[in-house]
Amino acid sequence: MAEVTLHNISKSFGGLTVLPDLNLTVPDGSFTVLVGPSGCGKSTLLRIISGLEMPSGGSVRIGGTDVTFEEPSKRGISMVFQSYALYPHMTVAQNIDFGLRLAKVPAAERKARVTEAARILALEDYLDRKPSQLSGGQRQRVAIGRSIVRQPQVFLFDEPLSNLDAALRTQMRVELAQLHQSLDATMIYVTHDQVEAMTLADQIVVMKAGRIEQVGAPMDVYDRPQTAFVAGFIGSPRMNLLPGTAIGRADVAQVGIRPEHIGVSSSVGTWAARAQVVETLGADTVVYAKVDQVGDVTVRLPGNQRLKAGETLFLTPEPQNLHLFDDAGLRMEDPS
Amino acid sequence: MTHAADPRLSARARLRRALSNGRVTAVLILLPPALILFTLFVMLPLGESAWFSFFNWNGYGAPEDFVGLDNYERILGHSVFHTAAGNTLKIVAISLVVQMPLALFLALLIYRKTPTNALFRLVFFLPYILAEVAAGLIWSFVFDGNYGVTASIAQGLGFENVFILSDPDWAFAAIMTVIVWKYFGFHMMIYIAALQSVPEDQIEAARIEGARRTQVVRYVQIPHIRPAIAVSAFFAIIGALQVFDVIIPLTNGGPSNQTHTIVTYLYTFGLTRLNIGFGSAVGVILFVGAVTVAIFYQRIFMKRTEA
Repeated sequence: MAEVTLHNISKSFGGLTVLPDLNLTVPDGSFTVLVGPSGCGKSTLLRIISGLEMPSGGSVRIGGTDVTFEEPSKRGISMVFQSYALYPHMTVAQNIDFGLRLAKVPAAERKARVTEAARILALEDYLDRKPSQLSGGQRQRVAIGRSIVRQPQVFLFDEPLSNLDAALRTQMRVELAQLHQSLDATMIYVTHDQVEAMTLADQIVVMKAGRIEQVGAPMDVYDRPQTAFVAGFIGSPRMNLLPGTAIGRADVAQVGIRPEHIGVSSSVGTWAARAQVVETLGADTVVYAKVDQVGDVTVRLPGNQRLKAGETLFLTPEPQNLHLFDDAGLRMEDPS
Repeated sequence: MTHAADPRLSARARLRRALSNGRVTAVLILLPPALILFTLFVMLPLGESAWFSFFNWNGYGAPEDFVGLDNYERILGHSVFHTAAGNTLKIVAISLVVQMPLALFLALLIYRKTPTNALFRLVFFLPYILAEVAAGLIWSFVFDGNYGVTASIAQGLGFENVFILSDPDWAFAAIMTVIVWKYFGFHMMIYIAALQSVPEDQIEAARIEGARRTQVVRYVQIPHIRPAIAVSAFFAIIGALQVFDVIIPLTNGGPSNQTHTIVTYLYTFGLTRLNIGFGSAVGVILFVGAVTVAIFYQRIFMKRTEA
């Protein structure tokens, strides 16, 4: 197990700077999720930690050792790729065993470790199959198995669930969380899916354009987003970001209010709105409404509330759940 | 299962279905042109050649002197044919053992898409673009014992002038050098195309697992490009059976008929000496050999790579 420390990491490709200057500590044993939109540099950062990419500046420490210039295989890490990166000509057992074979681990120990990994991941019945004979979820498990047998200090995951369908993704998410609990290893996980980030992480790192916007526990990030970007990125449906004038505050550039923090009434409220689209999700009903002078507002209601598009509603934001942001998009602590 | 293959359907029902979905029409329209061209330009000449091989015929007038299998007997008893067949096998061997590994080695060095690699690819591919006869002529100058590059090297090292192409022991080695030089670029290109399709993350995964460069090649890249290697070996074998135009300008089969291949043997003893029947028999032997190799190769190697 090990702590990962990134110190003043920068990375440029030719003239393009992907990571200007980045510092981050991933605590020992944590499940840290790097999340951000496409092109924010999260995968590059993971590749720098893995050693597949060299940083242009700064240092990487794993378990207290400076590994900035160390080969990937010498860093005590393992990585699960988005495409799984299984060797198509090898069986499941050979795929899982590959790294051990290269490391010349004694045959008996190799067999024991492969069997153990297969047991953890419920792959015992598939050890003799080729990857092409497996489903997406099974392939993903083989890729994870390949990581487990190496007994790394740090597990790296590069968008490992994005090639799976929605149902399987949910299932694998649960399995990954269980795996983290049982292995108690440091895990760094890259995704653009904020639901994965919220559900898996005990530390979320929200990134934008190569910079870290916020680091914190999922509910901290959710409840107290430090920037307007984080406010809009974390949470589904996303937070409403409206002009300060919507709540009569000229000193506030943007005010954020989550869809579930808006009260709805058919007769009285702060804003008069017209429902444009109503999505009934079963447990929830999401209403996309238009408020004159304010803009588009999304509201989340309990599933038993039946509304129709075109209806007039009155919306009231809960004052204690307003998030205020200044011109630079930074959180303002409201003295009032 | 498609309906056409459904054994429960009667022959009449299957025909009706094939007519209605346009398959019969497609066959009727598309098959005849190919069939006619193939018959005219492949099957007929082959059949004619086989027919001529039973005659003692100089190519003028109609073949009348039927000799049965005499031509085949003469060929199989001719020591020059044995040399030619042996040389052809040597070319097959050198193509598989030297040319293909060399091509793979260079492909591994330059398969990544960079401007420098593009330049090297062009340089290595140039010999293949060159006409065979031109390549033969260029190398005949190189090997020239009086004025060629080899002569300069020999003089520089203080040796007597060497006439490689006139030396029965070395002439064929020189020819094989030219063949490797001429065709390795073709195989290299096949490997480059295949190597570029190997997913980068598999290579990276192997690196993370501690694979050295040679291990990545052995365990990831070569297994991945195995189908391309099978195709390239197939081309190498069939190409080796057909070597002709490089040899004519270099040695013309000499010295003492030591550097013939089956095709130059056919040309020299069949065509230039107006033994068309004899030449046809050589052609038939070569054809049967090539088809046998092709069928076995497809059965054994190409099938396995598909699995």
